[in-house]
Amino acid sequence: MRAGLEALAFLLPAYGLFLLFMILPVGEALWLSLHQEDLFGRGREWAGLANYGEALARPEFWKSVGLTLKFALITAPLELLLGLVAALLVYRPYPGVALFRTLFFLTTAVPTAVAAVAWGWFLHPVGGYANRVLGALGLPPMPWLTSPELALPTLAVITAWAGVGFTAILLTAGLQNIPEEVLEAATVDGAGPWTRFWRITLPLLSPTLFLTGLLVLLKSLTAFGQIHLLTRGGPAESSMVWIYRVYQDAFFNFRVPLAAAEAFLLFLVLLALAGLQFWLLGRRVHYAA
Amino acid sequence: MQQFRRTVAGLVALALLAGAQAQQVTIEFWHSMGGVLGEATEALVQEFNKSQREVRVKSQYVGSYDDGINKLLAALRAGRGYPHVIQVYDIGARILADSGAVLPLEDLARKEGFDLGRFLAQPRNYYTVDGKLYGLPFNSSNPILYFNMAAFEEAGVAFRPSWSLKDLEEAARKLTKKDAQGRTLRYGLSIPIDSWFVEQISYNSGEYFCNNENGRKARATAVTFDNEAAVAFLDMYARLVREGVAANTGRTWADSQSLFAQGQAAIAAYSTASLTGVLRQVGNRFPLRTAFYPYVGQRNGVAIGGAALYLLKGFPEAETKAAWAFIRFLLEPKTQAKWHLATGYFPVVQGVTELPEVRQAHVRQPNYTTAIQQLLTSKANTASAGCLMGAFPEIRQYVQAAWEETLRGKPAREALREAKSRADQALERYNRSVAQR
Amino acid sequence: MRRRLQGLALTYLLAGGLSFLLVLPLLTLVSASLRTEADLYTPGLLPPNPTLAPYVEAFSQFPLGRFLLNSLVVSTAITLGVLATSLLAAYALTRLRFRGRELLFGLAVALLLVPGEVTFLPLYLLVDRLGWLDSYLALVVPFLASPLGVFLLRQFLRTIPEDYFDAARMDGANHWQMLWHVALPLSAPALGALAAVTFLGAWNMYLWPLVVTKSRELQTAQIAVNYMLNEEVARWNVVAAGAILVLLPTLVAFLLAQRAFVRGIALGGLKG
Repeated sequence: MRAGLEALAFLLPAYGLFLLFMILPVGEALWLSLHQEDLFGRGREWAGLANYGEALARPEFWKSVGLTLKFALITAPLELLLGLVAALLVYRPYPGVALFRTLFFLTTAVPTAVAAVAWGWFLHPVGGYANRVLGALGLPPMPWLTSPELALPTLAVITAWAGVGFTAILLTAGLQNIPEEVLEAATVDGAGPWTRFWRITLPLLSPTLFLTGLLVLLKSLTAFGQIHLLTRGGPAESSMVWIYRVYQDAFFNFRVPLAAAEAFLLFLVLLALAGLQFWLLGRRVHYAA
Repeated sequence: MQQFRRTVAGLVALALLAGAQAQQVTIEFWHSMGGVLGEATEALVQEFNKSQREVRVKSQYVGSYDDGINKLLAALRAGRGYPHVIQVYDIGARILADSGAVLPLEDLARKEGFDLGRFLAQPRNYYTVDGKLYGLPFNSSNPILYFNMAAFEEAGVAFRPSWSLKDLEEAARKLTKKDAQGRTLRYGLSIPIDSWFVEQISYNSGEYFCNNENGRKARATAVTFDNEAAVAFLDMYARLVREGVAANTGRTWADSQSLFAQGQAAIAAYSTASLTGVLRQVGNRFPLRTAFYPYVGQRNGVAIGGAALYLLKGFPEAETKAAWAFIRFLLEPKTQAKWHLATGYFPVVQGVTELPEVRQAHVRQPNYTTAIQQLLTSKANTASAGCLMGAFPEIRQYVQAAWEETLRGKPAREALREAKSRADQALERYNRSVAQR
Repeated sequence: MRRRLQGLALTYLLAGGLSFLLVLPLLTLVSASLRTEADLYTPGLLPPNPTLAPYVEAFSQFPLGRFLLNSLVVSTAITLGVLATSLLAAYALTRLRFRGRELLFGLAVALLLVPGEVTFLPLYLLVDRLGWLDSYLALVVPFLASPLGVFLLRQFLRTIPEDYFDAARMDGANHWQMLWHVALPLSAPALGALAAVTFLGAWNMYLWPLVVTKSRELQTAQIAVNYMLNEEVARWNVVAAGAILVLLPTLVAFLLAQRAFVRGIALGGLKG
């Protein structure tokens, strides 16, 4: 009993705040998603699953789901690949490695808003360097953020750029955890660097790679700031990803209950993915030790 | 004794001061004017606060128009924390009237004996909902054309104050400059992708943007933005983009503005309120002239854009009176003149353009008169009153998406029809939701 | 030996190339921030007539000092709060025996996944009901506890060998004392990592401060960037200068505490 009370004292600050500022609002969002009201929040009445039904019946919603998938499927592999290359270049010591580590990990310290401004300028239709470079190569300028075909891939590249530092850090740690002796043994057996990488490094790294990939996927499913600052979901709704649709419906179209339903559906997907991640983590506890 | 008397005098002064303090009413004012416009707004507030001692206006910049209306709706939802006076963009007029939270300006004006006849017709018409003026058209603008006169001279195109869409298209082609590989060096035309320009081409060609005569005869129940003028406008723009004559700089006005200011687009369309900023950006790169917004068929007249100030209900009598005093100050011709000259928004009451300081400024920079001339020569009818409907912010998104679809190669009529079906649904839902009250 | 040198040269080449690509967008931003409005679109990475005028302009147009100070205050308060609440909870979750312990831990894990956008509006209404809108309270209090913090520290505390605690218990220490004298000093690396990650996260908050603050005196550096994009969007040199100024504090913090950052991310991301 006393132990219980003591535990309560230790747990109350954190869990009290969780209850008040996370659980209650999630509950309220769920509650809201089961109701109907006008845009001023008046005349709230029970609607059952009507909002969910409407969300799932809307072609726009499915378009957003598809765009989210496309966005994630460009962002995640690209970020993973760049992060892996970066990690492979800096996980072992050599003169100057500290400098490259700093440069590779740097994007972790760049706030989203600053990243958006930097890229907004980099891809600027008039003064942007990206098009300058293309022009110097004799290529026509590209409508990076203004064409429906290019906007989403461009945003995915920006997101991958912003996340490279994060991925590189995780993968560097993973690579450093691979026992040196295994690689040395392979060298003695006459395996070249290429063979060592494919036969030993990559398989040993694969759990880390997989988990990092899952994390990157989770993050890319809720990317918001850069879209808000750079394309606002356009052009022609080509970057209206799931989370942006939620924002748009709640804060633009003033349809809060519908937005709450869409948000809750997204929450379920994230929860499922995270569940997968933890299940996998559970299967490789030896790594933590 | 001397000491004592001084103390008493001090106390009395203190008490008086405290009394004055107690009588002073503070009202809150939310606005969305940033940058140059924000400075001008703050200057007006300061001047009002200095001009008298009864009322103190506490002004707050609450972010973009969208941020502002969102903060207001959230506050209304919570039932508290909203300001006495708020600035809301043009297309929020129907929503604000439907909210039931706004004190119609017309009621107050009648009570306080302010003659509504002093307003210019279009601003007053725009913000009149169900026969009543709801908001004060504080910052009113309309769209105008911006010309790079150096390019005009080079290409041998003559300036004209008024343009049909066809003539504009021809001029844009002539003004376009390409290199040997066919890459565009200077575009003929650049218009940011904004529904506002589609709305205005409809009004200026005598078409409605929504039914029931722009929602002025009865509540609008469907959009009519698939009208001939809008179709012609979007088809033309898409055609010119494909030919490399018109630029596609996306939805951001500033990107189009830098293109124009750099001399890489010869004609552009922006708001009158952009004039100060564009002039500064252009510097002395080239001479700039402005002209009326184009039309299809016959020129009818544009509607006003910009935003209005609304007084909210639910405050003590003294505070509402204080808010009215502020509004009254903003309507003074002298205040209107300052506002007009600092921002390029045009005056909304009569008798301002005759003031000597305004006349002098207009002689120095005649481009500032274009918007006023355009307004004065517009027909005042339900088309130029502008469309009044709910869900307008959402519907604008659909129009902009349709514009972008046409740039992708979809015929404008088809793109606008598809947008219409979504817009009609949104409008129907909006009307149903507010009708339940 | 020659092979080794060749390998090193290749590494430098690849690493240099990748670094350049990664840093390029930031370099162009720096370049823009050092240009006059007239030179803004002149080609080349180096500004033709370097000037600090955009920085002066950014400072005079926006109370950037105040914005940065606010960000600092808010981020520091959140960081300290998260460290305290997380350590307390993590200690209980590892060292105390009570019913529902695993369940509570599972809850923290589930909460890790709630996207902020889901709770945005209800949270706003709640903060309003509490009368906190437009105050530091709204910026700080809802974030004083972090599921990530609880998760991370709990995982770390589990790796501290039992012996340390046993020794303290022999000396008659109660849980508070063990927390203070054993758990706290031993988890310094984890706390440092958590502090770095939390500070960065708090500094980066964007949508929330935008919505809950109205007075300029309360606004944070991220909103400053948003406002600059809204208000001065045509003057990219000023926007760029403002963005650089907002970037500097996190950049400096990152350079100074790189180890802690790296550790924090590696721990939060992987340790199972």
